[in-house]
Amino acid sequence: MVQPAAGSSRRRGDPVPALQRVKPNREGGWGLLMVSPYLLHFIVFVAGPLVASLYFSLSDYDMLNPPRWQGFGNYERLVGDPLFWKSLGNTLYFAVLFVPLQTFLALLLALALNQRLKGLKLFRMAHFIPVISSWTVILYVADAIFNPRFGMANEWLTRVGLQPQNWLQDERLAIPLLVFIAVWKGIGYIMVIYLAGLQNVPNDLYEAAEIDGAGAFRKFRFVTVPMISPTTFLVVVMSTITTFQAFEQIFVMTGRGDFASAGSPNNSTLVLMLHLYREGFTFMRMGYASALAWVLFIVLFLLTMAQMKVQKKWVHYE
Amino acid sequence: MKHRRFARFVGYLLITISALAMVVPFVSALMNSLKTYKEFTAVPPKWVPDVFRWANYSEVLQQGNFGQFTWNSLIVSLLSVVGALVSCSMVGYAFARLNFPMKKPLFVMVLGTMMIPPMVILIPHFIIFQKLHMLDTLTPLWIIEWLAQPFGIFLMRQAYLTIPKEYEESAKLEGCNPFQTYRRIFIPMSLPTLATLAIFTFMAKWNEILLPVIYLTSNEKYTLPVGILSLAGQWFGNEQQMVAAALLSLIPILIVFLFAEKYFVQNHTASGIK
Repeated sequence: MVQPAAGSSRRRGDPVPALQRVKPNREGGWGLLMVSPYLLHFIVFVAGPLVASLYFSLSDYDMLNPPRWQGFGNYERLVGDPLFWKSLGNTLYFAVLFVPLQTFLALLLALALNQRLKGLKLFRMAHFIPVISSWTVILYVADAIFNPRFGMANEWLTRVGLQPQNWLQDERLAIPLLVFIAVWKGIGYIMVIYLAGLQNVPNDLYEAAEIDGAGAFRKFRFVTVPMISPTTFLVVVMSTITTFQAFEQIFVMTGRGDFASAGSPNNSTLVLMLHLYREGFTFMRMGYASALAWVLFIVLFLLTMAQMKVQKKWVHYE
Repeated sequence: MKHRRFARFVGYLLITISALAMVVPFVSALMNSLKTYKEFTAVPPKWVPDVFRWANYSEVLQQGNFGQFTWNSLIVSLLSVVGALVSCSMVGYAFARLNFPMKKPLFVMVLGTMMIPPMVILIPHFIIFQKLHMLDTLTPLWIIEWLAQPFGIFLMRQAYLTIPKEYEESAKLEGCNPFQTYRRIFIPMSLPTLATLAIFTFMAKWNEILLPVIYLTSNEKYTLPVGILSLAGQWFGNEQQMVAAALLSLIPILIVFLFAEKYFVQNHTASGIK
C-alpha cells in the first residue's frame, strides 16, 4: 500500500484522511462490541443480582410471594440463630486446620520435588489424580479407607491393637477428617504452584548464602522462605476464600447425596454454605439466606483485608 | 556433597510415600468396584476380591440413567468449553489490544467480579432462571460460560498482551478490521492458552456439583456427579456398583489429563505469577 507523501495535496472528501479521522472511533466501536458479552454478563449476572440480593436480605421472601421489605429483621434473626454461630464456628475451625496444613505440606513436597528428582512428571501426575476428581469420586475413594464398617483404616487400627473409629460419623472426628481428605485432594494443585515459585528463586542467592557459610536450614529460612513469600501469600488467600465457600465437599462427604443428612452428625459439619443452602433452597427463606450470604461475604472481605494488611510484614517483593 | 545426597534421599522417600498415599486409595476403590456385594461388605475387609467382577461395570452402563447422566455432562461441559473459548478470547483480546471508552473501569470490574463470592449472587441467579423458565434444564449450567467469565478473560488478556505489535499493524495494512485481526492472527497465536482454558472449563463443568444440585430437579436431567449420588437409594444392596459408576465418571477427565498434562500445570504457573 502506498502512503501519500506528507505534503501531497488532497481534495476535500478524499477517502484516506476521512478514514484516518474516523479510525479511533471505529476501534472504540469494535472494542465495545467485542467486550459486550462481558458487559451483558456484568449487568445481568453481577450488578443486578448484587442489588437484588441486598434487597432480598432486607426483606421477607419465600419465592412464592413478592419480597416484603422488613429492614434489618433477617440480620437480627441471624444474631440469635444458634445454627448460624455453629456453622460460622465450624467454618472457622475447618479453615484454621486446613489452610496452614495444606500450605505447609504442599511446600514440603514441592521442596522435595525441586531437587531435580528423576520421575518428576510421574510423581506430579500421581498428586494430580485427586485434584482432577469430582467430590463424588472422592466420596467412594475415601470410603474405601474410612468407611466405619468395611473400610481399610479400621482394619489397620484393629491389627495394631487400637480401637476402630466411626470416622465421619463421629462428631469429634468429622471435621478433622474432612480437612485431612480436603488436604489430600488439593495438595497436588498447591504443590505445583509452589514448584513454579521455587524455580523462580535465582540460584546465585543460594550460592552467595553458601559462601557465607549457611547450612541447608539457614538457606531455607533466609533465602527460600522470603523469596517464595509472594506465592505463600497467594496460596493462603486463595485457600481461605475457597474454604469459606466450601459446599460440595461437605455436601457430598457427609450427605452422600441426601440433603437431610448433609452436615451430619448432629450438625457438627454444618458449614456456612450448607446452612445458607438449607435456609434458601430447602426452607425457601430466600431473604434470610441472602442475609447469610452477605454476612459471609463481609466476613470473607474483612479476612482478606486483614491478610493484605499483615502481608506487608512478611511478604517480600523484589 | 554427602549432605546433598542425603537431602535427595529424604526427598525421594517423602515424595514416594506421598505418591503412594495418593494412589493407594484409588486402587482400593478400584478393587471395591470389582467385588461382589458380599465381598464389598465383608468384615474384616478383603483388599483384593477373589474374582474380578467386571459385570459391575457393564451393569452400571445398562442400568438406570447412567447413560443419560453421561450425555448431560457431555453437553454441559462441551457447550461450556466452546462458550468460554469464544467469549473469553474475544473479550480478552479487546482488553489487551483495543482502545475503547470505559476500558479501564470495565477491566477493574472484571477483576472485582473475580472477588465476589458466588453465593451472594446465587439466589438472584436462581430467580432469573426461574423467570426464564430454564429451571430443570441444562441451559443455566452452560449459558453463563458464553458471557465470558472473569478468570478466562484475565487468562486470555495476559496471553494477548505478549504478542508483538507488528502482527497487528501488518494486518491493519492489509485492511483487516479488529475482529478479523483477532480471528486470523490472535486466535492462531494463542492456541496453547486456549487449550489451557478449554481444559479448565471442561474439568470444572464435568465435576461441578453445586449448580446442578440447585438448578436441576428431575433425575433424567442430572449430570454425572449428582446423578451417581442419586443412585444410592436405587442401588441399595448393590453399593459396589456405585463405586464402579464413580470411577467410570473419572475416565474422560483422566484421558484428557494423560494427554494434556502440561496444560493442567501451565495454568497454575500463570495464576502464580499473577
